Amino acid sequence: MDSSNDEALDIIITNVVATFRVRCHLNLRTIALEGNNVIYKPDCGKVLMKLRKPKITASIWSSGKIICTGATSEDDAKLGARRLARVLQKLGFRVRFSAFKVVNVLAVCSMPFSIALIDFTMNNRPIASYEPELHPAATYRIKHIKATVQVFSTGSITVTGPNVQTVATAVEQVYPLLFECRKPLRK
Amino acid sequence: MRVCRSCGGGDIDVDQARGSAVCTSCGSVLEDNIIVSEVQFVEGSGGVSSAVGQFVSADGPVKAPLLGSGFHTSVGKESRAQTLQAGKRQIQQLGSQLKLNQHCLDTAFNFFKMVVSKHLTRGRKTEHVIAACLYLVCRTEGTPHMLLDLSDLLQVNVYILGKTFLLLARELCINAPAIDPCLYIPRFAHMLEFGGQTHEVSMTALRLVQRMKRDWMHTGRRPSGLCGAALLVAARMHKFRRTVKDVISVVKVCQTTLRKRLTEFEDTPTSQLTIDEFMKVDLEQECDPPSFTASKHKAKMQQLEHELARKLDEVEGEISCYKDEIESELEKSRPKLRGIYAAYAKEIDPEDAELLSLTSEPEVPEVEEAELNAAAQHLTQTFLNQVIHEEDRHGKKADDSDQGAGPENEGAGPQRLAAPLAVILGQLPSAASLSLQKTFQSFGEETGGKPDDEQSESGELDLKDIDDQEIDKYILNDREVEVKTELWMKQNAEYLKEQKEKEERIRKEKEQGTYKEKPKKAKRKKDQVAASTAGEAIERMLEKKKISSKINYEVLRDLNSRGTESGTGSGGGSSPSRASPPPLPRLALRHETTQPPPQEDKRR
Repeated sequence: MDSSNDEALDIIITNVVATFRVRCHLNLRTIALEGNNVIYKPDCGKVLMKLRKPKITASIWSSGKIICTGATSEDDAKLGARRLARVLQKLGFRVRFSAFKVVNVLAVCSMPFSIALIDFTMNNRPIASYEPELHPAATYRIKHIKATVQVFSTGSITVTGPNVQTVATAVEQVYPLLFECRKPLRK
Repeated sequence: MRVCRSCGGGDIDVDQARGSAVCTSCGSVLEDNIIVSEVQFVEGSGGVSSAVGQFVSADGPVKAPLLGSGFHTSVGKESRAQTLQAGKRQIQQLGSQLKLNQHCLDTAFNFFKMVVSKHLTRGRKTEHVIAACLYLVCRTEGTPHMLLDLSDLLQVNVYILGKTFLLLARELCINAPAIDPCLYIPRFAHMLEFGGQTHEVSMTALRLVQRMKRDWMHTGRRPSGLCGAALLVAARMHKFRRTVKDVISVVKVCQTTLRKRLTEFEDTPTSQLTIDEFMKVDLEQECDPPSFTASKHKAKMQQLEHELARKLDEVEGEISCYKDEIESELEKSRPKLRGIYAAYAKEIDPEDAELLSLTSEPEVPEVEEAELNAAAQHLTQTFLNQVIHEEDRHGKKADDSDQGAGPENEGAGPQRLAAPLAVILGQLPSAASLSLQKTFQSFGEETGGKPDDEQSESGELDLKDIDDQEIDKYILNDREVEVKTELWMKQNAEYLKEQKEKEERIRKEKEQGTYKEKPKKAKRKKDQVAASTAGEAIERMLEKKKISSKINYEVLRDLNSRGTESGTGSGGGSSPSRASPPPLPRLALRHETTQPPPQEDKRR
């Protein structure tokens, strides 16, 4: 996936968050009583339903808006969302699957070298910020593609962005900067 | 500048003292009583001359302070001015507690003015914003104040302050220099009361910290932790007895962190030097960061494990045939099929087990325990028969590959088991087996794939790749719904009561006309379900306190109650717990079990 390196860098997508609507009012109590893998949280006003395949957790609100988390790819998320809508349909609600949108994608990637965070922060001053008292990683926010890269000193990075393409672009963008600040390892 | 009205000449003489403008060519007076902006002096008592006038701030109110009847409450001041004044007061207050000098406080106030003008105070508590401004000043000036100190003073979570601080730094484009742990050393050393030798101890600690920095121990870590470790070592080097507890009370990290830093430092070659050597010599070699060494160590361990596992596999192949024979013998003597059934089911096909558990449920509540066991055993037999057929197919495919050892053994195992099972069980009612066969065959079709052909238009559901059968598993049937409803009502009785009372209240208020929309606060309800034993009470408490969500309480309970073998993990945990009915009802558990809890009550 990386152009400037002989060994390929594995970007592993760990979480995809998507939202969609079913365009009808849902009775949470019915879902809670007739559903099999559901947790009803009346104080938050939502129902959590967990699907086994694909492994997904969905928060269902009575307005018909649903947030679907835990998928490992965009297609998986869509499949899970459709399954969920099918379950709701079988429970007797008049669902219409609409407005499916992948909202957030979280990926991790591991560099084959360690990174000197203080140098990295100094080189990329306003875009990168590093606060060791608060969080052990340096945060690099790429504004124009709306992605955030968290860089750890061990060389692993986590990238969050609105879709998978953005994440890939972000990694490619940040790689040369990381390469400059790598730590030469002695042992 | 100006031209004279009468003659048109441009030469005009303006006299500031007399306050008049006169045209020099024709002599006409153009202006009289010009308002001047000169400073006037007045002689006071004792010959002291002082300037006339009052100082008014540039950003203050337009209205001048009244002479004579001065109102203390600022009436009619602009909101912006009020905000700034309140902010200034708070900054002074907080800053004096931190013992910051006036210059820093003024800078902080400037930051605050910038923040207010950029409208960043909206939606944030002024306290937080003030604290963030002060911390910004501390960082730019390099004072040894930590964010933790500020959060201590305000009793606010440090991460909330940190969030505000990061946001302000980004918006104001202020690049705060990175924290250097060396800055904190003199402050902590002073607090640890080394008396006359404070300076020397600080120097030693500084050298230690610099050494740590070069050994890459400081990236990604709290600087206070490093300082704590350095000071502890420095104190010991100078023969001061400072315990870990003293140091952590000053430095504000926990014991574990300090010990970890000390261990990491121990791993560096510098730790091997004596005190004198350390003061004089600087080792050239730099270390790898401790997390890197830890991960390398882990990788090595994993590699070792792999090799061991491979060797084990080779040995296992020889032993496995003996193992199978022993197992078959055991089967004959002890009909504990449940456990093995679950184990096989899990290895082969978790979905089959799930399906079977669901389909067998309707039959279960009507059968007594003895009959249940018999039925379960019969199910096992028929299921295993089916499985053997499948396994034969799989086994043939896997023959070619080197990894055939595993599945082949599995295929051989159930085969040998089937024979003694048939001997033991004999003939049992065939209705159950028929229904089971049918569902199993339908499941077999399902695994082949049964896509629906509905088109996905906007709003319509595209049902491709969605197996309806599987979806049906997610929905309970009517009987289950009834029981679950009852259970749910009982469980949430308090909440439902509250809701009713609230509605009543609102209705009454509406009639009276005093109904107000109040903002809803999320209340934490306490489920007070009675526990039958102390063990269960502790379990409930543990759950509520969320000490661990990874403990499979079913297995724990089974261990306590029966001491029989249970399937590992939550997948196998569901089946064995059905056969050996747990003595306690599982009302409050929220784990991902596929079976509804009320079945347990009925079977008791």
